[in-house]
Amino acid sequence: MIITMSVSAERKDIQNVKSKVEELGYATKLFQGERKTVIHVIGVTEREKLMKAVESMPGVENLVPILRPFKMASREFHPENTVISINGKKIGNKEIVVIAGPCAVESEENYLEIAELVKAAGANFLRGGAFKPRSSPYSFQGLGEKGLEIMAKAREKTGLGIVTEVVSEVDVPLVFKYADVFQIGARNMHNFHLLKTVGRFNKPVMLKRGMSATIEEWLMSAEYILSEGNPNVFLCERGIRTFERYTRNTLDISAVPVIDNLSHLPVIVDPSHASGDSKYVCALAKAAIAAGADGLMVEVHIDPSRALSDGKQSLKPDVFMELMQDLKKVAQAVGRTL
Amino acid sequence: MLVVMHKNASPDEVAKVCALIKEMGLTAHSIPGALRVAIGITGNKEMVDTNRIASMNGVLDIIHVTQPYKLTNREMKAEDTVVSIKEARFGGGNLTVIAGPCAVENEEPYMDVARSVKKYGASMLRGGAFKPRTSPYTFQGLGEEGLKIMAKARAETGLPIVSEAVDTDTFDIVEEYVDMIQIGARNMQNYSLLRRAGRSKKPVLLKRGMSSTIKEFLLAAEYIMSEGNYHIVLCERGIRTFSDYTRFTLDISSIPELKKLTHLPVIADPSHASGKRDMVIPLSRASIAAGADGLIVEVHTDPEQALSDGAQSLTVPMFERMMQEITFITQTIKEHNGKIDKGGDR
Repeated sequence: MIITMSVSAERKDIQNVKSKVEELGYATKLFQGERKTVIHVIGVTEREKLMKAVESMPGVENLVPILRPFKMASREFHPENTVISINGKKIGNKEIVVIAGPCAVESEENYLEIAELVKAAGANFLRGGAFKPRSSPYSFQGLGEKGLEIMAKAREKTGLGIVTEVVSEVDVPLVFKYADVFQIGARNMHNFHLLKTVGRFNKPVMLKRGMSATIEEWLMSAEYILSEGNPNVFLCERGIRTFERYTRNTLDISAVPVIDNLSHLPVIVDPSHASGDSKYVCALAKAAIAAGADGLMVEVHIDPSRALSDGKQSLKPDVFMELMQDLKKVAQAVGRTL
Repeated sequence: MLVVMHKNASPDEVAKVCALIKEMGLTAHSIPGALRVAIGITGNKEMVDTNRIASMNGVLDIIHVTQPYKLTNREMKAEDTVVSIKEARFGGGNLTVIAGPCAVENEEPYMDVARSVKKYGASMLRGGAFKPRTSPYTFQGLGEEGLKIMAKARAETGLPIVSEAVDTDTFDIVEEYVDMIQIGARNMQNYSLLRRAGRSKKPVLLKRGMSSTIKEFLLAAEYIMSEGNYHIVLCERGIRTFSDYTRFTLDISSIPELKKLTHLPVIADPSHASGKRDMVIPLSRASIAAGADGLIVEVHTDPEQALSDGAQSLTVPMFERMMQEITFITQTIKEHNGKIDKGGDR
């Protein structure tokens, strides 16, 4: 941590801050610049405590932490990639994983049909929402446990693992019974109670990025899960809120290499929510793999025009099939397999 | 400035960074910490160009202590700069309002607006003769003809005039007519234009770019000042965000922040920030309450007929009400001076 003193800080202000820091048990080193003095605090372990103690002292201009605030999620502390095994599949390895299915589970017949189709196209996991967080309280909220039962049936038939969202800590034990991966949605990325709860269960977690979250905030949310004892977390970039209005969100493609640099956790991309429009999903999916993503999560629906949610961004099965073929070539080009 | 080394940086890598710092004529202080080494740099009078250091092996991060702007920095000049244009005063506790239509369209309507805004307390007239419009097919302004109309309004009302210079080609002609040159948001990083404005004897009204940070905004002012023109008024006019109910989002926090960081006067443009007439008055009140030195507002005698920005122009009666309300706020703040904790102060 470094403490920058303002130009107008007097010698006694500097001395007071230095004494306060030393009182807390840290060594300090003073730098007398041309106009400003900087106090370097060595070996800070309790950053919050130190900040609270000195930030309002006279003459203090700014406090800059040197260490990144996330530890368990950081590549510095864990240089090797985390590889998560789920239902015989590995995420974070050379092989790209594709999670596909409709936005929400709507009916058994439809869901089983789409599950078979995406399996035939080469998908590795099934997605589907049973509990849906919708922007409006008046739109379809999901089938609840009934939806989970349908997904479990689809797993039985196809052998593919299932990924579904849990929207409240109350539902965690129920979703745990059915799902292979807990999905934490973008709107819940900062629901710390929910993060801690899934952190206490022995089940992998897919953590989506909040629509206005910085990468640091996103990794701090992963840290919440990891610090409760669950090491199997993978991240999902799904587009961020910007001023651009032609797409639903703006895919932050740079987040993929940035995460790879900062963290050992696998990262996948959701091109469906990022674009909000099936016309653009394939292009974004290919870009994501080219940028180094470990996988994709794609919405596919038998009849997107009749979907109860997110129909506009869902691919038709034949388009998905074609996309999977294209993705194989992109994966090969970047030294991955699919 | 501090160079933070990677946890696994080798002693050799640290030594190489220290050697480079010395080569740059600066002093390096290596500080071993619990986990990593940090290297403090002293001896710099201004911000160090860190590109070379950042690309060295083992360097994780660079933390700057010194701000990159100097002449605009309040650390260099503690007291407020007051920009004087005839009777108008920006800064130093004055409340100064610039008003007028977005573009100069015709002589008669312009004279009408000029007389009305003067009557209700405006200190300067605004008006676009050269208009930077998003579409090349919309009204581009009357050019020199517009400046002549503005000069006539000045002659009649006695109010000084401000108009935008959009490129270096037309800069001279704008400079010849106006009392203050406006650099618009779209040109905030047009460095040749900023340099030209810096060589002018006329004061400059510099608007914030719609996606620029406060630091970039102050560096744009620095361009003008570094050429010798110290008479600059900064103008917050809203930034691009995802909110689509207003044309832009007024960054109200930028006002106290700028007042803290720089000695230059700061005004707000509630017309462009909102793009909506009925939001102009509340945003004007908020700007003044947040510590702005004044406002620039669009007023039109018949907004429905305006060739540009009609939706955000105040009618004359609304302008009158706005002036009453902001005057009241200014008086209240003055009366309670000392009792109101000014934003940004510790």
